[in-house]
Amino acid sequence: MKPWIRLRIKIRAIKINSMTKMKRRSALASLGSISLGISSKDFLLKEKEVPVNAFYSIKKQTLKTDILVIGGGTAGVIAAIQAGRAGKKTILVENVSQLGGTTTTGGVAYPGIFFAWGKQVISGIGWELVKEAVDLNDDTLPNFSIPHGRNHPRHQIRLNGQLYAMLIEEKCVQAGVHIRFYETPTKITPQKNGWLVETIGKGVNTEIQCNQLIDCTGNAFATTLAGYPVLREEVTQPGSLMFQIGGYDFEKLDLNLIKEKYQEEIKKGTLDKYEFRNNVVGLLKSQGDNISHVMGADSTTSESHTLANIQGRASLLNTIRFLRTLPNLEKLKIIDVQNETAVRETYRIDGHYQISHEDYVTGKMFDDAVSYSYYPIDLHDEKGIIPKHLNEGVVPTIPLRALIPKNSKNLIVAGRCVSSDRLANSALRVQASSMGMGQAAAAAAVLAHTHGTTPLEVPFAELKNLIESHGGIVPGLV
Amino acid sequence: MKTITRTLLFLFTGILILSGYFPPGRIQYSHPPTLPLPVDTVLYQIVDFKDDIANDTLVQSLSKEGYPISYTRHLRTGVCFDNKCRPLDITLHWNVTGRYLGFELPEKEFLSKYDHEPFTEAEYLRLHAILTDSLSALNNFHYNEIVPTADSTYEKVDAVSGATSANVLEHVVEGAAFTTYKLWHLVYGTAKQQAEALTCQRLTPELIRLILNSTHPSDKIWALNHINGYVQPTPALRQAVLSYIDGKDYNLTERALNSITAADLASDNLQSTLAQKLLEANYSTQKLLLAKLNEAPALDGKARKLLAKNIGSFSGQVISNVLDLFLRHHTTDAETCRDVSDLLLVKNPFISKKAYAFLIQANTKDAGVQKRLIQYKTENNLIEVE
Repeated sequence: MKPWIRLRIKIRAIKINSMTKMKRRSALASLGSISLGISSKDFLLKEKEVPVNAFYSIKKQTLKTDILVIGGGTAGVIAAIQAGRAGKKTILVENVSQLGGTTTTGGVAYPGIFFAWGKQVISGIGWELVKEAVDLNDDTLPNFSIPHGRNHPRHQIRLNGQLYAMLIEEKCVQAGVHIRFYETPTKITPQKNGWLVETIGKGVNTEIQCNQLIDCTGNAFATTLAGYPVLREEVTQPGSLMFQIGGYDFEKLDLNLIKEKYQEEIKKGTLDKYEFRNNVVGLLKSQGDNISHVMGADSTTSESHTLANIQGRASLLNTIRFLRTLPNLEKLKIIDVQNETAVRETYRIDGHYQISHEDYVTGKMFDDAVSYSYYPIDLHDEKGIIPKHLNEGVVPTIPLRALIPKNSKNLIVAGRCVSSDRLANSALRVQASSMGMGQAAAAAAVLAHTHGTTPLEVPFAELKNLIESHGGIVPGLV
Repeated sequence: MKTITRTLLFLFTGILILSGYFPPGRIQYSHPPTLPLPVDTVLYQIVDFKDDIANDTLVQSLSKEGYPISYTRHLRTGVCFDNKCRPLDITLHWNVTGRYLGFELPEKEFLSKYDHEPFTEAEYLRLHAILTDSLSALNNFHYNEIVPTADSTYEKVDAVSGATSANVLEHVVEGAAFTTYKLWHLVYGTAKQQAEALTCQRLTPELIRLILNSTHPSDKIWALNHINGYVQPTPALRQAVLSYIDGKDYNLTERALNSITAADLASDNLQSTLAQKLLEANYSTQKLLLAKLNEAPALDGKARKLLAKNIGSFSGQVISNVLDLFLRHHTTDAETCRDVSDLLLVKNPFISKKAYAFLIQANTKDAGVQKRLIQYKTENNLIEVE
C-alpha cells in the first residue's frame, strides 16, 4: 500500500472514533444549533436515549410548547412566524428538508394573488416574505394597479424558490420558532389543556405537549389524527411536477409537424394526452414550468406521494425521449426538475362553517371574516383548466369558523384544507390565501392560549387587532 | 414640399384625434392621450421594428414644449392561416409612455372575420378593449396554438371562425382570432419599446411631473420608473413623488420610494419626511420606508429621534427592523438606548428579546439602561455566554 493511502485511512479512523465518543447533543452544539435556533433547550421537559441495539439508539424527547404547528408549507410558515412574533413558544414540525411546501419543494414559486381590483387584500407576514425575496433577487413586482383582466397569472409574483426557502427559514428562527425537519406526527391525543402529539423522525421519537394545535399539513392530516372527520372528493384535481427544459430554439420548430407526431403517439398509446394537457406546443413554448398534470396525485401518505412522484417523473422522461426524436429538438434537455409532485387537492376539514361556491363568487362578507381570498375558480381536470374569473369588485372572505373543525377544542387549520365545497376550495387553496389564513389561524391560537380558551371563542375584536397589528388585512377594516 | 404636406396632414389628423372628430366613413377607436396638449410638430422617426412588415417609420407627434403626445405606425400587412392570407390595413397609436391609445382604418376599409363578415360595432369595441389590455393572455399563446388539434380536449367549434381553442376564445374577437392575435402582438411589440425609447430622449423633470398627473395608473408607474437614473428631480417633482408615498396604492408607493436614491437621502429633510410618514403608514408601507432609510449614507438626527421616541407604537417586526436600522447606522447613543430600554418591559418576549440584543450590542454605559438590563437578565434567568 502506498504511504499516502495508509495515512488517509488512518485519519478517517481517528475521525470515526472521536465521533462515536462525541455525544449527540454536543455534536449538534458544535454545528451551532443554539445560534441557529434549532436547539430544543427552551422546550425540553425530559430526554433519554433508548438503545435499539448495540450500535444505535433513538433519542426520546418530551417537549412542551404553547403552540404547535404541523406542516411548514405555505400556511404553516406564516402561522409559526405569527405565533412566535406574538410572543408564544412555538414549535414547527415539517416532514421534508425545507420550509415552503408547494412554493419551494413543489416549485410553484409564484404566489398570488395579493391584490384585487387595485387594492392590496392580503398583506402581513406572507407579503413581507414575498417582498423580501423579490428585493433580494432584484426582481420587480407586477403593476397591481392595472387589473389582470382574464390573465390572472400576471398578478402572481415569480420568486426564486430556493431563496424564498432560505428566507422563510431565517424568519422562523428570528421569531424564535423551534423547527423540527424530517418529523411527522404519528398520534395526537387530547389532554386536559391541549394536546399530546407524538412524532417520529430520523433517530428521534418526540412527544410534544402543546396548548394549541395548528394543522397546516394541507391534507387535514393532524385533524384526522386528532379524531375529527374530514371530507374528500371521489376524483381530485391532478397534481403538477414542475420542471424546466431547454436546448432548442422555439422559433425554429415546425409546430404543425410536432403536433401531428404528438397526436400520433397519443393514438398509439405511447403518450397520454392528459399528462401535458394535450398541448405539446404550450409545453415547448413555456419550456416546461406548470404544464404537467399528474392525475390522481395525492400527498396524503408516503405511499401515495411516492406514486405521484414516480408517475410525474416517468411521464416527463417518456415525453422528453419522444421530443428528442423530432427535428430541431434532438438536443432538448432537462434543466431542472422539482423534487416532488406538487398536489392541489386531498382532504378538507368539516368545519363549523363550509364556504360555498356561492359565498365565494359573491364575495360574501362574514361577520367573523379573518382574511380575504382572491383568485378565480380554478378547477384543474383531465382537460386542463379554464379559470372562471370573479366579477369586478368581488373579493371573497374567509370566516374563522371555516378554519375550525366541528366539535374541536384548541385546534385550528390553515391552508387548502379549509372547510369549503370543492369549487370554492379550487380558489381558496392558492398560496396568498393560504398565507392570509396562516396568519389569522395563528393569531386565533395565540389569543386562545392567552385567554385560556379555544380559537372559536377568542374575543373577536382582539383577534382583528392582533392580525392587523402584525400587518394582516382583516376584511371590513379596509 | 412632400415633407410639408405630410406634416400638415398629420397635424390635421392630430387635431382631429384630439377634437374627438371622426371623419365620416372612417373607423377609429381611441383613448385620450395622456398629455392634453395640441400637436405642434410631427417627426418621422426611422426605426428598426424587427418584424416582417414593410414599414420603418414611427410618427412622433410633439407639443410646442417638445413633449411627445403620441406615436403612430401605419401597417399594411396580411393575416395568414389555413394557407390563405387577407390584407390588413390599419394605423396604430401609442401615447407618450408607449401605452396603446387606439387604431384607425383608412376610409372605406373595415375589419372582417373568418367568413368575410365585417366586424360589428360591438366587435370593434371588443377588439379595442383587448388591445387596451396590456396583460392579455395573448402574450402567452403562440400563433400555432390558436387552432387546436383535431381531437383536442379543448376543441370547440365556433360557427364563425372554425375551430378555435376554447381557452383562446375568451381572449379574442370571435371569428377573428388571428387578426386579434396579430394586432395585440403588434401593439405590444417593438413599436411600443421604440416609442418609450424616443420619449426617454426628451425626458425632463417637468415632463415626468405632467405624466404623473395622468389618470391612468400605468402612466404614473412609468413616470416613477423614469426618475432614478434619468432626471435630477426638481422640488416640484420631488413633492409630487412624495405625495404617492401614502400606502393607498402599494405599487405607486413602492415605485415612488424606488425613485429616491441613496444620494437623495443625504438631505436631512427627506429622511425626516420619510420617518414622519412611517409613523402614520400601514405595515407594508412601513417595511418599504425602513428599507429605503437603510440605504441612507447616515441616519439624520431628526429621523432617528422620531423613530426612537415612537418605537413602542410599532408592531414587533417593525420594531425589529427599526433596531436593525439603528445598528446599521451605528445609532447607539445613550438617548436612543434609553428609548429602546422601555421595550425590555414589554410582555411580548419577541420584542423584549430584540431590545435586549440591541442594547447588549450597543454596549451603552448609561446607568438607567444598565439597571434595566440587570433587571431583565435576573427576571429571565439569563446567563452571559462566555
